[in-house]
Amino acid sequence: MLQSIVHVCLAGLSQGMFIWLVASGLTLIFGVLGVLNFAHGSFYMLGAYFCFMVLRALGENFWWGLLLGPVCVAAVGYLVERFFLRRVYGLELPYQLLLTFAFVLLFDDLVKIFWGAASIGTPPAPGLADSIMILGRRFPSYNLFVIAVGPLLALGLWGLLEKTWAGRIIRASSSDREMASALGVKVPTLFTAVFVFGTWLGALGGGLAVPYLGLLTPGMGEQIIIEAFVVAVIGGLGSLKGAFLGALVIGLLSAFGTRFLPTFDMFLTFILMAGVLLWRPQGFFGEAR
Amino acid sequence: MITNKAYMAFGLLLAGLVVLGLAGDRFLLYISMRIMILAIFALGFDILFGRTGLLSFGHGAFYAGGAYGVALCYMHLAKDPLLCLLAGVLLATGLALVIGFFCVRHTEIYFAMLTLAFGMMVFSLIWNLREITGGDDGLVGVGRQAINLGLFKIPLRKESEFYFLVLAFFTGAIWVAHRIRTSPFGLILAGIRENDRRTEFAGVNIRNYRLAAFVISGAMAGLAGGLGVLLESNATPHISHWSHSSDPVLVGLIGGLNTLAGPLVGSLVFVGLKELVMRFTTYWMLFFGVVLLIILLGFRGGVVGTLVQRLAGRREVRS
Amino acid sequence: MSKKGMNRRQFVKAGLMTAAAAALGPAVLKPTSLWAAESKVKGPIKLGYQTVLSGTLAGYGEFHKMGAIMAMEEINTAGGIAGNKLEIEFRDSTLKAPDAIQNARYFVDSWGADFLAGIDSSGQALALAPVMAELDRVLMVTHAATEKLTEEQVFKNGVKQIFRIVTPTYQDGNAAAFVAKDLPVKTWATINPKYEYGFTCWNMFKETLSALKKDVTFTAESWAPFGTTDFRSHINTIMDAKPEGLYSVEWAGELITMVKQGIQAGLFNQVKHVMFPVGAAMDVLEGLGAEMPDNIWISGRYYFLYPNDKSNNDWVERFHKRWQHYPAYVSEGAYSTMYAFKKAVEAAGSKETKAVVGALEGMTLDSPAGKRVFRKEDHQAMYDVPWGLTVSNPKYPFKIMGKQVMVPAKDCFARPPFEGPGTKPPFKA
Repeated sequence: MLQSIVHVCLAGLSQGMFIWLVASGLTLIFGVLGVLNFAHGSFYMLGAYFCFMVLRALGENFWWGLLLGPVCVAAVGYLVERFFLRRVYGLELPYQLLLTFAFVLLFDDLVKIFWGAASIGTPPAPGLADSIMILGRRFPSYNLFVIAVGPLLALGLWGLLEKTWAGRIIRASSSDREMASALGVKVPTLFTAVFVFGTWLGALGGGLAVPYLGLLTPGMGEQIIIEAFVVAVIGGLGSLKGAFLGALVIGLLSAFGTRFLPTFDMFLTFILMAGVLLWRPQGFFGEAR
Repeated sequence: MITNKAYMAFGLLLAGLVVLGLAGDRFLLYISMRIMILAIFALGFDILFGRTGLLSFGHGAFYAGGAYGVALCYMHLAKDPLLCLLAGVLLATGLALVIGFFCVRHTEIYFAMLTLAFGMMVFSLIWNLREITGGDDGLVGVGRQAINLGLFKIPLRKESEFYFLVLAFFTGAIWVAHRIRTSPFGLILAGIRENDRRTEFAGVNIRNYRLAAFVISGAMAGLAGGLGVLLESNATPHISHWSHSSDPVLVGLIGGLNTLAGPLVGSLVFVGLKELVMRFTTYWMLFFGVVLLIILLGFRGGVVGTLVQRLAGRREVRS
Repeated sequence: MSKKGMNRRQFVKAGLMTAAAAALGPAVLKPTSLWAAESKVKGPIKLGYQTVLSGTLAGYGEFHKMGAIMAMEEINTAGGIAGNKLEIEFRDSTLKAPDAIQNARYFVDSWGADFLAGIDSSGQALALAPVMAELDRVLMVTHAATEKLTEEQVFKNGVKQIFRIVTPTYQDGNAAAFVAKDLPVKTWATINPKYEYGFTCWNMFKETLSALKKDVTFTAESWAPFGTTDFRSHINTIMDAKPEGLYSVEWAGELITMVKQGIQAGLFNQVKHVMFPVGAAMDVLEGLGAEMPDNIWISGRYYFLYPNDKSNNDWVERFHKRWQHYPAYVSEGAYSTMYAFKKAVEAAGSKETKAVVGALEGMTLDSPAGKRVFRKEDHQAMYDVPWGLTVSNPKYPFKIMGKQVMVPAKDCFARPPFEGPGTKPPFKA
């Protein structure tokens, strides 16, 4: 029983950390730009495919792919923000959603055109291909790596936002755009920078997914975007701390639910989402607006 | 003046649709019905989205409520299509009342996320209550019996017959939307969108008004779903999924918000364009995405809004 | 609006056809068949093919297209169908029922299709049944596996326009049970898709196996929703239950992911007898490559090395030359569909629906998968697909079947009238 519980915990943690990697970029972009980015799942997908492309080109080494792939996607993110998204900041929320939705459609087909429609099996990460014994059952080292990367990323983001000059500007702009602008912050540049960084985070999630899923498919982004939405909402839209905790909750809930409740379903996560929205719309950590 | 012109335009539209129903081939009739059904969905949705300013991502649930209501009524209770439609609309309305009761506590993004959550709960229920809903296979084999009026029967089996029932409901939906827009109720809804504080100070219980708008849009979504089942003869869970809930949002944004013509034009563009693009290429998503970008960046405020502005602008220059 | 669209489309198509004709050389341009002069069948034979071309399963659609296009090229080079050129138009089915219906109506009413084929999802196939009756065109289903289609729609409701060229759930559920009865396994568990296909197959497997073997029990079930990417909790459920055998009709990308995650968790070290009824699908074999564990029982709707005869081996070689892929089961189904229509039209001397339905009923077709017979009552193609144990082979970069077992279709397919004693396997000899 202990073995079972520990392994379900580990499965939940790795699942949760994965959603966190994707939700972090979504949350950051929403927090600063106020844009709910539907295309974030597409950047996740592109991250996976670019990572795979670099990996193929540089001798089947995943780590090169992880290093360079998300950077390529960040460049795509730059183009999207600079030439499209920037033009709809003045419009209402639905128009921004529509714009990002158009990119979901575009990227799905572009991926098929460039990499083919068939799913692509991918190799494991060098050095982390094995599993280690935990209480008599094997657990993949790579998942332990993902479980470690999640909090490290959270720590890095926290340091960036709380301890650096750039972070203070981001936080200031996030809470009061006009004031920041009046104080001399170049808001458009800041928005571009945050969007590109958020895109890179989503793509990093995609890159890390390559050995985790072992498989690339067009449309893979649409599966994760809703989970990331749920997590971002449960944590309080725009709150990174909340998203981190929300991801943990969703990951563990789904792992324990799947193992111990045969009837478990997405239903429960959506009840949780609705409950949080009704009872505490600002989320676990979000401040009331 | 403009109202008269608008009446004339709708009169022409209806006359055109009647001619189409008498002369069109089977595929044209089918596609026209798809467009009209989507337009009913979008007309109701616009009362909530365009008029009241609440963006829902869960109206697929009410569309599905209508659809499964019709299918279940047909299989277990009565086969009369009007009775089935009534059952479907009632189910959708009840669902909208319960879900709306919770959702209207919030606005903007929180409202959107709440509706998304409830919509996906309904999707999950439909997928999992296999004994009732048939799971992912859905309910199949819903027929179109003749409407029995005692002395005579109106057959609906053929496309060319059913078309006129859809057209009747379509006309009714336009009329309802128009009446709501011009009524004091509709003005209050617009007031809520423009400035909810001020409207509240005027002594209006805005939550009740929001709920009313929610339920009306839910009922019309249910009507669309019910007609959809009669057209396609089956109901599948996908219609309650968020990716279907986004259809009326796209239609509204393409056509234009808070106008009567917006949902109509939007539905025509949405269904017609996709059908045309699919004739050229299987990469229809790419083309559809590009067209969305063009509409968004070139026609801000939707096709109808932009055209109205252009025309108004030209008139101003002339006068 | 629609007229303009037609013109543009025809324009594009004419361009493509010129290019294709140029590429294929003069063979295409002169129909040499004896049908050319005297055929009563008029005009090109137009076939509308819809399959999933977007989303995570889009790869299946591409595999369908490969088989269909290859058959079309071969048939047209050899003089067409009864002297007429075969034309195929493809559409994305998107896996949604309303889109499938719109496609079918477009094909028949607007494009003028004589025949329809394709369809991956069971929900779509069932939704199309009444539509095909109304449109009165033959639909050859090349992937959707629900037995309800042939048992209820064709046999019971009399929708004669629908045929299915590939094996249905009987192969995944019943045939698996026949293989399982000879394994030294008394406890079975499953990780299965949480939708009708998964429920149906598991129930069939349980019922048939219980009838064949008295002392088996079914100890754990874990249901994975459509689109599952993390199977670790499901794998934990199975490993905790410690069954001797694992049965799973997970398929496509989800099966690949499940196997990879199962290997990491040591699932295949603990559970020695594993059955994947759709594990022999080419995307799964290629996607897992050398990672697929040895000694897993796999099957499919067609396995590219069976039958091991000249006709099939030549076909696989031609296919590989044409597409640089080995044929997936949907490719074989799509390919054979074209030849089924060719044979039926030429036998009937007509492309009219009623005549072609008559010709197809009971027709025998020699196809890469071997001899198929379209059962008259339910329009289900009867043919045999082997089960086999995975093994490495230096000729292929992926695992293939080593030891093979054959459960003939006549022994594991349910029989009309599908109700009452003696309609479900095991049958008395």
